[in-house]
Amino acid sequence: MKLETGMAYRSSTLIRWFAFISILFLFSVLAMFLDDYIRPWKGWQIKSLAVKREKLKKDIEAKLGKISPEKLAELENSFESAKDLVEERQESIRKLEGEINTISGQIHGAKLELSVYNGRVAELTFRWEHAHAHGDPRAPKLKKKLDHNRVLFAATKEKIKELEASKKGPLAKVSELKAELIAAEKEQQKLFGQVELLKGALAKTDISNPVWILRNAPFIDWLDPTIKVEQVVLDHITDDRYFRHVPKVDRCMTCHTFIDQKGFEDQPNPFKTHPNLDLMVGLASPHPMKSFGCTSCHGGEGHRINDFNAAAHTPQNLGQQKSWEKDYHWHAPHKVPEVMNRLQYTEAGCYKCHKGVEMIPMAHKYNRGKELIKDYGCYACHVIPEFEEKRKPGPPLNKLASKLEKNWVKNWIWNPFGFNSKSRMPSFFRQSNNSKPEFENKNIAEVNAMAEYLWDQSEEYRPFGRYKGGNVAKGKELISSVGCISCHQVEGIEASQKVGAKKAPYLTGTGSKVDPHWLVSWVQRPSHYAPETIMPSFRLTSREAQDVTAYLLSLKNDSFSAKTFAPLDKGVRDDLLLEYFMAFDTKGQARGKLAVLSDREKTLELGKRSLGKYGCYSCHSIGGFAPGRAPIGPNLSTEGSKPIHQFGFGHEKIPHERDTWIFHHLKNPRRWDKGQDKPFKDLSRMPMYYLSDDEAQAMTLTILGYTTHRVPEKGIKRLDANEAYAEKGLKHVAKYNCTSCHKIDGVGGDILAAYEDDENEGPPWLVDQGHRVHSDWLYHFLGNVYPIRPWLKVRMPSFKLTDREKNEITAYFQAKAHEHSFRPSPSAPVEWEPGERRAALKLFDALACASCHTTGFNRDDPMAPALQMTKRRLRSSWIEKWLANPQAILPHTTMPNFWEDGEAQEPDILGGDPKKQITALRKYLQEIGHDQIHGELNRSSTSR
Amino acid sequence: MKELVNTLSDPKYSFTGVIIGFYLFMKYYRTIGTVKFFISSMIIILGVFIWMMQDPNFHAIIVWPDNVPIVILLFAVIFFTWFSIYKAAINDARIEGGETPVEGSVENREKVWTWPNLVYTELMAGTLCVVILVIWSIFLKAPLEEPANPTWAPNPAKAPWYFLGLQEMLVYFDPWMAGVVLPGLIIVGLIAIPYIDTNPKGNGYYTMAERKVAMGGFLFGWLALWVYLIIIGTFLRGPNWTFYGPFEVWDFHKVVAEANVNLSEFFWIKGLGISMPSNIFLREIVGLIVTTGYYVGLTLLCNRSQLGSSLMKSLGKIRYYLLILLLLTMGLLPVKMYLRWLFNLKYLVAMPEFEFNL
Repeated sequence: MKLETGMAYRSSTLIRWFAFISILFLFSVLAMFLDDYIRPWKGWQIKSLAVKREKLKKDIEAKLGKISPEKLAELENSFESAKDLVEERQESIRKLEGEINTISGQIHGAKLELSVYNGRVAELTFRWEHAHAHGDPRAPKLKKKLDHNRVLFAATKEKIKELEASKKGPLAKVSELKAELIAAEKEQQKLFGQVELLKGALAKTDISNPVWILRNAPFIDWLDPTIKVEQVVLDHITDDRYFRHVPKVDRCMTCHTFIDQKGFEDQPNPFKTHPNLDLMVGLASPHPMKSFGCTSCHGGEGHRINDFNAAAHTPQNLGQQKSWEKDYHWHAPHKVPEVMNRLQYTEAGCYKCHKGVEMIPMAHKYNRGKELIKDYGCYACHVIPEFEEKRKPGPPLNKLASKLEKNWVKNWIWNPFGFNSKSRMPSFFRQSNNSKPEFENKNIAEVNAMAEYLWDQSEEYRPFGRYKGGNVAKGKELISSVGCISCHQVEGIEASQKVGAKKAPYLTGTGSKVDPHWLVSWVQRPSHYAPETIMPSFRLTSREAQDVTAYLLSLKNDSFSAKTFAPLDKGVRDDLLLEYFMAFDTKGQARGKLAVLSDREKTLELGKRSLGKYGCYSCHSIGGFAPGRAPIGPNLSTEGSKPIHQFGFGHEKIPHERDTWIFHHLKNPRRWDKGQDKPFKDLSRMPMYYLSDDEAQAMTLTILGYTTHRVPEKGIKRLDANEAYAEKGLKHVAKYNCTSCHKIDGVGGDILAAYEDDENEGPPWLVDQGHRVHSDWLYHFLGNVYPIRPWLKVRMPSFKLTDREKNEITAYFQAKAHEHSFRPSPSAPVEWEPGERRAALKLFDALACASCHTTGFNRDDPMAPALQMTKRRLRSSWIEKWLANPQAILPHTTMPNFWEDGEAQEPDILGGDPKKQITALRKYLQEIGHDQIHGELNRSSTSR
Repeated sequence: MKELVNTLSDPKYSFTGVIIGFYLFMKYYRTIGTVKFFISSMIIILGVFIWMMQDPNFHAIIVWPDNVPIVILLFAVIFFTWFSIYKAAINDARIEGGETPVEGSVENREKVWTWPNLVYTELMAGTLCVVILVIWSIFLKAPLEEPANPTWAPNPAKAPWYFLGLQEMLVYFDPWMAGVVLPGLIIVGLIAIPYIDTNPKGNGYYTMAERKVAMGGFLFGWLALWVYLIIIGTFLRGPNWTFYGPFEVWDFHKVVAEANVNLSEFFWIKGLGISMPSNIFLREIVGLIVTTGYYVGLTLLCNRSQLGSSLMKSLGKIRYYLLILLLLTMGLLPVKMYLRWLFNLKYLVAMPEFEFNL
């Protein structure tokens, strides 16, 4: 067909195409809106409505189920009869109601009038006052007007009161006439009120309701949607956006809809209730959601809700990862510098707000990791927050020669775990990256040289005791009973295995290790050899010391001591030294340097360099190494934020994740060298601790907590004065390991595992100790320990505490018990009420106190502490609390409760008033008390 | 096979391949400009592309949302280049046979109205374009990403695709040259084309035979220097801007041995065995001579050639020298690339004191 003139296409074709493209355009715009409208989180919210519906229905059912059918029938009956009655009285009711209505109308009218007068009075008051003050001649006229209006106002008010009074009569009558109906309605409200509320809530979850649909419809859902993004904005916890810190915004609750509501514990995620509402998220918890959000602890990108991956969710394990990949197309987050903590590492989030404390309350996993870091001494080589001031974890080596044998030391350095399976000294040699024969030869030369150097540096030490032989069985008995096992473990002593202490060396094999004379001196007075040691003295007699030594010497590891360490290969030594020298010198110069050294000097030079190379000086104090020398390992104080690409994964095929790297690094620090052709001097040196998975995981958690996050002052936990005192003292309590024996307010008491049968045989619990004992007594006691509980075999050791330490430990207990002021123990004589003393004496006999607290009363063996110590030791208020109910303080105590349920056993004394009896007894105890504050009582010196 | 492809993709080899390919393209444009050739070569290209897509590494690069449009654009480049050649081949055959080009035939001289023919078509094209963009944005999301983290820059950090050729030039030139001087000259040169090229041949119709120099010069710059470098920069440069073959994993740790040496260092230290003079002009004397020689010598050589003298005659001196200057500057890029690959040459003239490195 021919085209029109001047046309390239037919008009109809053009129009058809135009229509087609326009429709395409329309659809694409619709698709765009839908794409914007359909969000994964909306799906979750709609699903959550179904969950809520289900729960509400169940609640309603439960509520309805509680209403008995009889009651329901009764209610119906009363309704019926009430209606009938009211029907009969309808006539008079209507009349009365008419009356009430009329009066109400009149009241309304009067109130209108009143408001008019009120306004006039206010206005005239102002005008008159103004005129009066300025001497305006109109003042008297205004005053007159004002007074007039005041009268009208008062009269109207009076009228209203009258009307209201006249309304009361008919009202009362009506309610009297309707009484039965009102009662029935009340009853119904009582029964069904809550159900009605629940039904109201249920109606809100109905998504087929047209109003609901309208509010959430596309295009108009910005008006007043019910399905919407929920969020908290936290001013005092910020997110680092690199160029500025911005308030944290968490929108997690958009999908985790019921995270802060009880009753959804059994729902699958995301609808589950937070598992620990009392501590976290809950409104009444210390960390309510409104103030702390979610990602403050969990990590991740809390403001991002595009989809499941946006929040940087991190699976707990491979299994969960697989299921997430299936369900949510999970993939590792892109470019998120710090992803969400895995569930098992959640507590890593605690540290950033709870800094500067020895332990974080309730953060058990974090605390465990920290404890392990302390036990393994990681802080010696790495800078780790909170550990900057800690003592070196290894023993000092500066008097080594008097204690150990050189061959043993070499074998020990070479393979500590060969001697002691529970060694805390890690393995540097025989590892995956240095077991090539070439490397082993070099290592052997290094170990030989190190030992030589240590011997060369070793100072003279003369043990004060001499080992003369002792009773092995007695020694064993002593070790198991005096308290050694609270810190040490020994094979062969079952109790020590139960306690499983790791604080101090494993004692098995000691006989193949140390010099007998050294040992006998050491067990008696450790500070003689090592003034800085925390090993206390148990006040062993020299006989006891001989027995203990005899037992320890019997613990041998013959196969280890039989090994002779390979001799030093001088060629290898020289090669190693040359390599050191050549770092800065030419080969010729290096050779020259080497040539001027004598044979011994060469060995010592290599020894010192090797001790430096492996960082031995970090854990041990060694002569020739300045105390301030920088630790050998990298700083870990921001490890939890270290960019992932700064971790060396080498050629290892493991996921490139921060926590995975740390975990595997702890398990085997040398693994990253695999597949790399490194020269000897560049091999990884971090030693092997042979950690269990569980330990490595705990430490990983704690290390992950060391981030760069800066929480504003307002957001972090700040200690109050009491907590700060407690914290200071706790550092010493932790240093001296008090909690391995004492259970202090429920924490610690490791050794009690050995006293399962009777905890009274173990070290005492310290419950509210700051309240229990006088501060000055405790202070003196710490400096001069003496037995308090005569039946105990386990001994409170004597620590070498400084005055400051004693003070701070005392303050620790005082602060924990909220004993604010320092009150010295009483020295004034007791003041008695008339007849009280006689009653106290009678009571003392009647309750047979002296049958257990024998000291000073009879010659029997004491089964309870000497009462004469009470006066200076125990606080009055505590004595009374204790007497009133000892089991409430120490559940296992043998001290009887004489006033069970507030009933006196001796009703005749002091009228049977428990309070009076207890006070009298307390006064008596204080009267017989000694004024001696230091040291043990002389038993015979007490009399009645 | 994949190994071989990986190796040959390295610009060291593939650039020579591109030059040879370009030569063949110019020589046999009549064969290339046939539908048969297009269909058969598209079958081969798509086949190879599909085969390559089977490789997970190549697949990952191609389907990365940023790269999908580049792939589409590359196919568009192939098609439109071929289309112009196809039209040119037909016209050239007609011109040889003494006919007018297709565009000049009687039936094509008739005129039509702008309204509605052009305006309607343009409106529809515009709308269709929006539709495509909308649908594209629904399927290939371009969401806001994480806040910029100055301590964690993306690696590789890539410019937008249209600048990747420039970024690739940074491998061979000082940033000042590759980032300012050369792009500036490209823009100036493109603007100058209508003023330099006053030849009326080819106006309003496709032709190759009548405009061999112009077509060859432009297409070389466009295809071999611009598009090719974009391909390299987009698909074959990974972390640290290291070269990765199409089938290679982008391993962050890949190391390439490269120690580049300046021409002055070649001359004074390696050649004469003496230390470098402190006077920087004396130090860089060789490079300066070579560069001047490149511009002056080649210009003189051109003047003497038959093509050169005829061009000089038709264009006039100013236009002619401008053209030569632009062409020689364009030629610096391949020259520098070869010098780098052959001699590890860093700079011909290295004057960091003046921010002048060539």
